[in-house]
Amino acid sequence: MAIKRRGFLAGVGAGAGMAAVGPFFHVRPARADKGELVVVSWGGDYDDALRELVGEPYAKATGIKVKFDTPPENAKVKAMVEAKNVSWDILLTDIPAVLSLAKDKLLEPLDYGALDKKLVEAIPAGLRHPYAVGQRIYAFNIVYNTKAFPKGKHPTTWADVWDAKKFPGGRTFNFRGGIAPQLEIALIADGVAMDKVYPLDVERAWKSMDRLKPIVSKWYVSHAEAIQLIAAGEAVVGCTIGSRATSARKAGGAVDVDYNQGKVSPDNWCLVKDSANKKVALDFINFALDPKRQAEVSKRVPYGPSNKDAFAHLTPAEAADLNTAPDNIKKQFWWDVAWWGTPGADGKTERDRQAERYAQWMVKG
Amino acid sequence: MRYWRSREALLVLPALAVYALLYLYPLSRLGVWSVFDPEPTLKNYRQLIADPVYAKALLNTLEVSFWVTVCALGLGYPLAYLMTTVSARARVWLMALIMVPFWTSILVRSFAWVVILGTNGIVNKTLIVLGLIEAPVRLLYNLIGVEIGMVHVLLPFMIFPLYGVMTQIDPALLRAGRSLGAPPWRAFVHIFLPLSLPGVAAGCVLVFLMAVGFYITPALLGGPQQITLATLIEMQVSDMLNWGFGATLSVLLVGAVATLFVIFTAALGLDRLTGTGKA
Repeated sequence: MAIKRRGFLAGVGAGAGMAAVGPFFHVRPARADKGELVVVSWGGDYDDALRELVGEPYAKATGIKVKFDTPPENAKVKAMVEAKNVSWDILLTDIPAVLSLAKDKLLEPLDYGALDKKLVEAIPAGLRHPYAVGQRIYAFNIVYNTKAFPKGKHPTTWADVWDAKKFPGGRTFNFRGGIAPQLEIALIADGVAMDKVYPLDVERAWKSMDRLKPIVSKWYVSHAEAIQLIAAGEAVVGCTIGSRATSARKAGGAVDVDYNQGKVSPDNWCLVKDSANKKVALDFINFALDPKRQAEVSKRVPYGPSNKDAFAHLTPAEAADLNTAPDNIKKQFWWDVAWWGTPGADGKTERDRQAERYAQWMVKG
Repeated sequence: MRYWRSREALLVLPALAVYALLYLYPLSRLGVWSVFDPEPTLKNYRQLIADPVYAKALLNTLEVSFWVTVCALGLGYPLAYLMTTVSARARVWLMALIMVPFWTSILVRSFAWVVILGTNGIVNKTLIVLGLIEAPVRLLYNLIGVEIGMVHVLLPFMIFPLYGVMTQIDPALLRAGRSLGAPPWRAFVHIFLPLSLPGVAAGCVLVFLMAVGFYITPALLGGPQQITLATLIEMQVSDMLNWGFGATLSVLLVGAVATLFVIFTAALGLDRLTGTGKA
């Protein structure tokens, strides 16, 4: 997911012209030549942690330099592959991006046989996609302002978030930035049980969204914006990445997260089509999936590790701040890739259809 | 005379070449993408017409841009006029102040507006303390927020053409009018204002056209009613990788802007728009 899409917005500058011209002319700060691996992710704290705790040790162990680049925009990957000038090897990105990229044949299938068997088995089957393997887990959670609602008196269910009488104040939800509309959450707010949301009753979900719309004070574009809106009290509660709320809380912000009914999903390692370093890339992925290394990264930036064995290297207090900790993960549900990503007869996925509908629903007012 | 003209025309050739390569070529590719997938098709245009949402987004875009232009003119005209009357030193300071928005990151700027205009922001708190309002007013995530944010960024593009034209106006003409008995307001309305119109036209066209392509500011400071066509283009190109339809929306935007430009030109005269003609 677009953990760092805000960086993208900042980079693109002001104008449709730029957005349209972007794919033609893009700067290549990093190059995948021999002896150098280019890893592209959404930037920010998590990248710093990866660079320091995975990239540097890998370079030391193998002599292969790891360069980090950002952001792994689909449009850039497409431009690169089509121009037969692939300068990226590995992407760390969300399932919606993986689905889009895989549909357009811009990724290499992931050779699980080349990875360490023990590592692969410690990663839940749901995180092993033909084109991508989970690395860090993020979740769409109830994130609230602790001044408006002290812990314990805060909204604990999506039905509470939909209820502006019981919990007065503005809401904030995502729109754009590659994030699908929160239809599962709309259904749960309407009374559907968490384990019964799929296949989604789309019409019922949009009716529930209709009820949410009047109390949303801002449809956020990026998760940093969401956290800022909630911390500043522009919205008192919203649906955004819980890990970011945890980071903000640790930095003294008036925000916190409730894991109940959260929607969990992975950011994944995947290989760019026609990458010149496929073998090295798989070796790097293997290195990064190591439980101890994942635990170190999660200590630094509180995203859930994909490798279950990572918790053996974390204290209970450290684990409590991670969405994949046993106590937290049981309150949440996994985002269903198959429902959103399987192309229909017209070649369109539900993700395509619901994203179009989201824009229409929003513009129609 | 003619000889010199053609020699002068050579001077613009490098600029024209850059323009053709970096602008016209990609733009023509957009046109091609909108009708090939990869076979020739009109499905993108059918989708454009079938769904009223795109017409609505175009109207949103034009509405936002129109009000931005009006507000920028209202604020920019007096400022540009002031710049022609103050000392050179004061003028440098004014210029610097006008340029400040350029030096700030667009995201920092947009977040700063939350601090100022938010429900707990300075403006709302002041108004409540003064007893002018009882509950906070919504100044963000609606048309007001977008207008404030965009006018702030685009004001220099209104002021500089205006200032450029105003400095060309001979102050002796105003003095002549005054000496013939016109009160100051009359001299202004009958002499200064008509002579400054080329600057008004140039500034308005510049601001309007730039506003039409804005998408970060409306996305950050607007609400659902300020979703512009540029926002939807970005969504198609970046998120959905549907470059064909993104290109079609871009063609719609470019077409609408070109049409408006033709109308402006016909109504005002091209020489006025470029500020080169006799007013």
